[in-house]
Amino acid sequence: MAGSYDRALTVFSPDGHLFQVDYAVEAVRKGSCVVGVRGSDVVVLGVEKKSVMKLQDERTVKKICMLDDHVCLAFAGLSADARVLVNKARIECQSHRLTVEDAVSVEYITRYIAGVQQKYTQSGGVRPFGISTLIMGFDSDKVPKLYQTDPSGVYSAWKANAIGRSSKTVREFLEKNYKEDMTRAESIKLAIKSLLEVVQTGAKNIEIAIMGHGGVTERLELAEIEKVVAEIEAENEKEKEKSKPSTSQQ
Amino acid sequence: MDTLVGITGKDFVITAFDSKAVASITLMKTGEDKSRELNSHALMLFSGEPGDGVHFSEYIERNIKLYGIRHGIELSPKAVASFARRELADSLRSRKPYAVNLLIAGYDVKTDKPSLYWIDHLASSVDVPFAAHGYGGYYCLSVLDRYHRQDITEEEGIKLMQKCIQEIRSRMIMSMPDFIAKIVNKDGIRLVQL
Amino acid sequence: MSRRYDARTTIFSPEGRLYQVEYAMEAISHASTALGILAKDGLVIAAEKKVASKLLDETKGGEKIYIINDNMICGVAGITSDANILINYVQTAAQQYLYTYNEDMPCEQLVQRLCDLKQGYTQYGGLRPFGVSFIYGGWDEHYGFQLYHSDPSGNYSGWKATCIGANTASAQGILRQEYKEDGVTLQEAKNLAIKVLIEFATLELVNGKVVRRMFNQTEIETLLKENNLLTKTEEAK
Repeated sequence: MAGSYDRALTVFSPDGHLFQVDYAVEAVRKGSCVVGVRGSDVVVLGVEKKSVMKLQDERTVKKICMLDDHVCLAFAGLSADARVLVNKARIECQSHRLTVEDAVSVEYITRYIAGVQQKYTQSGGVRPFGISTLIMGFDSDKVPKLYQTDPSGVYSAWKANAIGRSSKTVREFLEKNYKEDMTRAESIKLAIKSLLEVVQTGAKNIEIAIMGHGGVTERLELAEIEKVVAEIEAENEKEKEKSKPSTSQQ
Repeated sequence: MDTLVGITGKDFVITAFDSKAVASITLMKTGEDKSRELNSHALMLFSGEPGDGVHFSEYIERNIKLYGIRHGIELSPKAVASFARRELADSLRSRKPYAVNLLIAGYDVKTDKPSLYWIDHLASSVDVPFAAHGYGGYYCLSVLDRYHRQDITEEEGIKLMQKCIQEIRSRMIMSMPDFIAKIVNKDGIRLVQL
Repeated sequence: MSRRYDARTTIFSPEGRLYQVEYAMEAISHASTALGILAKDGLVIAAEKKVASKLLDETKGGEKIYIINDNMICGVAGITSDANILINYVQTAAQQYLYTYNEDMPCEQLVQRLCDLKQGYTQYGGLRPFGVSFIYGGWDEHYGFQLYHSDPSGNYSGWKATCIGANTASAQGILRQEYKEDGVTLQEAKNLAIKVLIEFATLELVNGKVVRRMFNQTEIETLLKENNLLTKTEEAK
């Protein structure tokens, strides 16, 4: 049906689709879920971490990467593709500092990454990158930033967003529960809470990176994530308790 | 005309450079930083053609930084010095060579050892206990020969550096007012008052 | 259905999969096995040896285990000619690093270099992916002894013990069972590996220096004897 339109990458199908890009988006949908949440003076990235096998070394599984001191990226999709793209971005960050003495702005590096992704949808004989990314960071204006890029090379700014597996459910959850000007604790909680929508196994399969003022990134220890998860579960219990008697009364 | 001095001690390296920015025979300003922090434990001092020094050292700085971010581990001072030497050697054999002299002071956190590399504008590199570039070296090397020991403490290091600078100031034909000194040890790089 | 996306490598299928890469992995699951075991005091890479003919001159060395740097060895499973290209590439990369930094290349970086090349062959036009998986074992001052595995997609990860090639499922099962929670010694690792395979190399630290050892036929036989694994007929020979 699609004929040969889906082979030659640079070609539109009669109904205006770029099939390879659509299919790359499919690859992203298969990837593990990533959420980003922006608070008043903090940004949080949370990823669903696949459980490592017993004999595997956890250190070598990296889903959240630093691009520069003040910019951090998480991806959903093919990890080998991501490694290559991240590498390009890291070079650009330092090259930018070398030429203009200033660090990249978060939007600049997002635009750069999206630009590379776009190039791979239009150049001959290459397939698009099979990844979407969420990029968080701080510029000199001390305002938290959160951006998203996708395989087509589109980029956009967000207050909170999700990519990867079940991202639609998670985004809807975020839309419902996002509040303006969240504190650090609230932002972390919302990120974990939304991830729990798709991660059934709880804290051990969640990884959290937080960037606060001055663009310093820290990662939450498992124990800290467990604490938040327990908190959320307790709240959910309470909700249930509350709703139970009211339903019985009715 | 610039003077760079470096001295290693028991668990640190102290470096100093004159902070003069000069054009021809005119002093343009003092307070010029002739050093770049390459990573948390490696410091590069440069002298020579003024533009070249800044350009070359910033190029090295960004490459070392890129290495750190890319691989999540830092290069040892030895690797940093080898890399800088190689880049300089390659540039010498290009159409537009850099004319810079370098001192690379570092502290290897893996082996817990301080190190100092002396690299000249022809890209020869030596691992040394103390070193100097520029005319100032003529005066302070003899002082260092006389007073330097491998096991000096930071305090003694600062004193020794003061002695060197005193010698430079009293013997050199030009005025050498402002020196800036930096120490590299296991905690990183910091400015010191001389 | 899948036919259409088979012809060229660089193409996503409608489900977002890369068939060529998956087929390359399929090819590897038929290749002869190689395994790696990380021990507290060293590591073992072992491979299954298939002697095609008695006339084959074995002085050239095995086809499954290679030295890629002073501090690193690796085992391969898959298309040998592809492996040759990659081994050569990675050996050159290691020397290039030594040339620039005057230090041995950290293990993970070497693995990453090779994987970046492999990844390129799944994204740039007209080429097929490399049909090889690797098991790398090495030592560096950053993380000590390390074991890595990489596949044709360009993915890699670190392991305590793993294997590639045919029968991986059962071999991995044995490894999971026998590998102790708190690690094994090099001798135990060798004994474990010899149960499965017979081309052999180890890497350990002797007086702070990395020592690689490729086992020859007689050494392997001694090891077999130690483990009472020689069959009657072989002993008769």
